[in-house]
Amino acid sequence: MGPEVIFYSLAVLIALVLLGVHVGIALGASSFLGIYLIFGDFHIASSMLGSTAYESIRNQTLAVIPLFRLMGEIVSQSGAATDLYMLCDRAMRKLPGRLAAATVAGNAAFAAVTGVSIASAATFSRIAYPEMRRLGYSRSYALGVISGSACLGMLIPPSVLLIVWAILTEGSVGALFLGGVIPGVVLGLAFIAYCVIAAIRNPSLAPTADHGHDRQLQTKGSSSELTGGLGVSALIILVLGGLWGGLFTPTEAAGFGVLGSILIGWMKNMSYRDFIQAVYDAGRSTAPIMFLLITGSMYSRLLATSGGVNLVQSLFADSGLPIFGIVLIMAVIWLLLGMVIDSISVILITVPIFVPLALAAGVDEIAFAIFGILIIEAGLLTPPVGLLVFTVKAAVPDSSVKLGEIFKGSLPYWLLVLAVAFLIYAIPEIASWLPSKIL
Amino acid sequence: MESSLKNLARACHVVSVFWVLVLAIIIFVDVSGRFLFAVPLLGTPEIIKNSVVSITFLQLPLAIYRGGMIRTTLVYDRVSLDRQLHLRSFANILGFLFFLLTALSSWGPAVEAWQIGEYEGEGALRVPTYPVRFLVAATAAFTALVYGYLLYLDWTNQPEPDKRDISRAC
Repeated sequence: MGPEVIFYSLAVLIALVLLGVHVGIALGASSFLGIYLIFGDFHIASSMLGSTAYESIRNQTLAVIPLFRLMGEIVSQSGAATDLYMLCDRAMRKLPGRLAAATVAGNAAFAAVTGVSIASAATFSRIAYPEMRRLGYSRSYALGVISGSACLGMLIPPSVLLIVWAILTEGSVGALFLGGVIPGVVLGLAFIAYCVIAAIRNPSLAPTADHGHDRQLQTKGSSSELTGGLGVSALIILVLGGLWGGLFTPTEAAGFGVLGSILIGWMKNMSYRDFIQAVYDAGRSTAPIMFLLITGSMYSRLLATSGGVNLVQSLFADSGLPIFGIVLIMAVIWLLLGMVIDSISVILITVPIFVPLALAAGVDEIAFAIFGILIIEAGLLTPPVGLLVFTVKAAVPDSSVKLGEIFKGSLPYWLLVLAVAFLIYAIPEIASWLPSKIL
Repeated sequence: MESSLKNLARACHVVSVFWVLVLAIIIFVDVSGRFLFAVPLLGTPEIIKNSVVSITFLQLPLAIYRGGMIRTTLVYDRVSLDRQLHLRSFANILGFLFFLLTALSSWGPAVEAWQIGEYEGEGALRVPTYPVRFLVAATAAFTALVYGYLLYLDWTNQPEPDKRDISRAC
């Protein structure tokens, strides 16, 4: 069978995913079937499965994923996220909607150590939501800012999505990390601007904090808060500074990050139980990601052996569509897939096909990666699945919260994510300028 | 059977997570040795490469047992309880077959690597490949067993460790 096998394989993949099969298994099984159909030999397909299981992730750079996940979990369990939130609240006390703005800023800083959106959404649901409600913030406004600003986790380094994208495209992890910095700052500022403007236009959304809140903040402000805030800042400088300064490879930066996070935990008097919980949770969240990488590699082999990428490329080339039209189709596919499956699976399925197409059309490599990640992240805020929205619903300490309220509150952030994505497509230098200057 | 299966899955998980900590220490020693004394730790790249595979496969059984794998419940949430049981069973059977096939297809190369003394690395440090190859085969077989056990729990009306597992990563 020829390159058209890729379409059968994709159809099987979509069917399996919708039937609730674990995404990694669905990806592996559909790729296995595709390889079998190409060669018509069960032994070739099964030996390719065996060799992929052993060979595909024997890569030094991939060690960054378990290491960064461990660093993020230790920092989360140490209570440093609360410290960051308090510091941001203090710094933004003059702003209308200060707690919402502090949630965005805290998320951005927290993202620089966790690398995943879900961790930020769960953590800030527990920390920021009760504070905002205590000051009388509207539920939808408070929930929206938590789920919306969690998107920053996937854009600000050391994002797991950036790592996976770089590895799949054989690009530089450090360059892609740098590429995410300015778009991350632009998106964070856009989120804060929205919070402030919405609070000015409709003060009932976010009533001004009373003196009691500031007094409580002063009482709560302690050396531990400063330790956490400064500790996280030092960790970011160590990891990202070391990486971009040429001192470390990504793997070495992640290794040092783990040891740095343990130091923060120790300084914050983290209990042994919390430490073990962090280590345990890190393992739980790493395994599915790594397994996806194994089966994703099987899928890449299918694409390579079937010639499927060339077929899709020629289909697009023959369509006569302008570059923007092609990119728009990709964005719609990303958005649709992002609504149903997780971001890493979306990247594994689409990037091996989309990136060669985009590069052939002359789109900047780094800008395209950031554009893609933003669109995929927008899918996490889109009904019916909207993973970030479900995470907030599960983590928020208020059982009366409705999913519809979170989706409604997230809508402005969803629009802003898409707006920034297309801004980057229009002005690729927003993403590519920093890597070109530093690396 | 449940407690021994769970304990073994937990033991694998604990080994893997502390392995990650040990990796961080190895990296620290390697980088510090390189910067301070111009003496890097011999074999660090080989150790890291092989560790990634080992850590991943050691973590899989517990992740599956605890319902940590990524899946979508778009259709699942909208069907009757009977249909949900069928969907879960289908997913578990497919998982069982996939890992069984992975174990079987990894076993042959592992035995061969052991028999011919396959090594990797150059110079002073040469690492045998068969330990990691056997580990992949063994943990894949164990993971298949976990899927089989989840299937058994479902059809004997016993609650799964995590009945409803929506996506956890990213």
